[in-house]
Amino acid sequence: MADREVALLANYLIVGAMLFALGAIGFLSRRNLILMFLCAEMMLQGVSLSLVAFGRFHNDWGGQVLVLLVITVAACEAAIALALIMVLFQRRGTLDVIAWQELREADQPPYVEDQPFEEPEPAAPEWPQLPLAGLRPEIPSEQTDYRPHV
Amino acid sequence: MIDAGRMMILLGAMLAGVGLWGVLPGATVRSRLLGAVLAAAGLGLVAAQLPWVGGWVDQSLFTLLAFVAVGSAAAAISLRNPVYAAIWFGMSLVATAGLLLFQGAQFLAVATIIVYAGAILVTFLFVLMLAEPSGRAPYDRQAWEGLVSALSGAFLVGILSLTVARALADPAEVVSPVPVPVTDQDRQAGILAEDHVRRIGQVLFDLPGPAGPNRAPKPGYLIAVEAAGVLLLAALVGAAAIAGRARTPQPDPAPKPHPTHSAGGPRHG
Repeated sequence: MADREVALLANYLIVGAMLFALGAIGFLSRRNLILMFLCAEMMLQGVSLSLVAFGRFHNDWGGQVLVLLVITVAACEAAIALALIMVLFQRRGTLDVIAWQELREADQPPYVEDQPFEEPEPAAPEWPQLPLAGLRPEIPSEQTDYRPHV
Repeated sequence: MIDAGRMMILLGAMLAGVGLWGVLPGATVRSRLLGAVLAAAGLGLVAAQLPWVGGWVDQSLFTLLAFVAVGSAAAAISLRNPVYAAIWFGMSLVATAGLLLFQGAQFLAVATIIVYAGAILVTFLFVLMLAEPSGRAPYDRQAWEGLVSALSGAFLVGILSLTVARALADPAEVVSPVPVPVTDQDRQAGILAEDHVRRIGQVLFDLPGPAGPNRAPKPGYLIAVEAAGVLLLAALVGAAAIAGRARTPQPDPAPKPHPTHSAGGPRHG
């Protein structure tokens, strides 16, 4: 059944490569600092799958031990990164990575958005039409805020 | 030369890349739908070229887990709401743990769920909710260089898959560098043993484990375990120092207002 093991190795390598590439795409294209770190963790997952597959193929414990170390490093990275992100957020009030673009190299031009984003106006809420009876109730302002998303 | 199967792999990877560009934030609803269809078609094209890992049950289990892992990862990078993205990433983690279990790595599967999904992801969610609870920030709704990053990722997958397919076409190329071929009996006595968790503990702490017939003396990992412990301690102290300093906010010397941030200014702090 050596063919089955080769097939298993090939499948896991490709799934791991896909996870790694998806993490890389997210890291390059997302602008939220926390999501960028999530994508870095996703890349680590892809590498872990490949390591475990190689470890099984060669009947070697090194792959699994290395994945354990990867999990340890990921936990440390998450702790440090989230503490740093909290500091950055308190400084600028936003999680956008462009808020820190003055850290770029001196000869690089600043990033200016091609098309500035326009927030679509949320549709006005439909309030029920009630017949006039009694006093008009006082609606607190926080109840009238319409939030179509979480 | 490149045969039909490898051509299909390359084509599928490129299709998936273009589809991913469509589903990244900043696109219209129609392009998101079209992109999702394209990405699924590309994934199917690549998956159809892969060799089977076993019988029907094994194959369908593996296919399900792999599709859930890759699909939820794609959803995690393409959803605009960061809270939903983090939850989809948790789904991908659970499927990845299933894939690890499929390989016989029981301890790692459970550790992935406990450490990643249980601790790291929940911490990410805490910070997300603390920072942007509404998830309607402008920067979450527009991707940065979506086409370039999606195509470079697809190119990476295509190249890696082509390499794997080339090695599969000539299995001797895969197996020959191993000095002694590993048989299933070796695996049953080694990495797939029944007492897997006890065995990995022995390996980690450098205790003498039972050596198989074809196994060279294995190096111990005790120093690596100690280094990981020191790393955890350093990270703990560092995170406490950074977060403790953050509690007394210093005024930013020169907070330059950026033209793109007129919509969401500083909230507090």
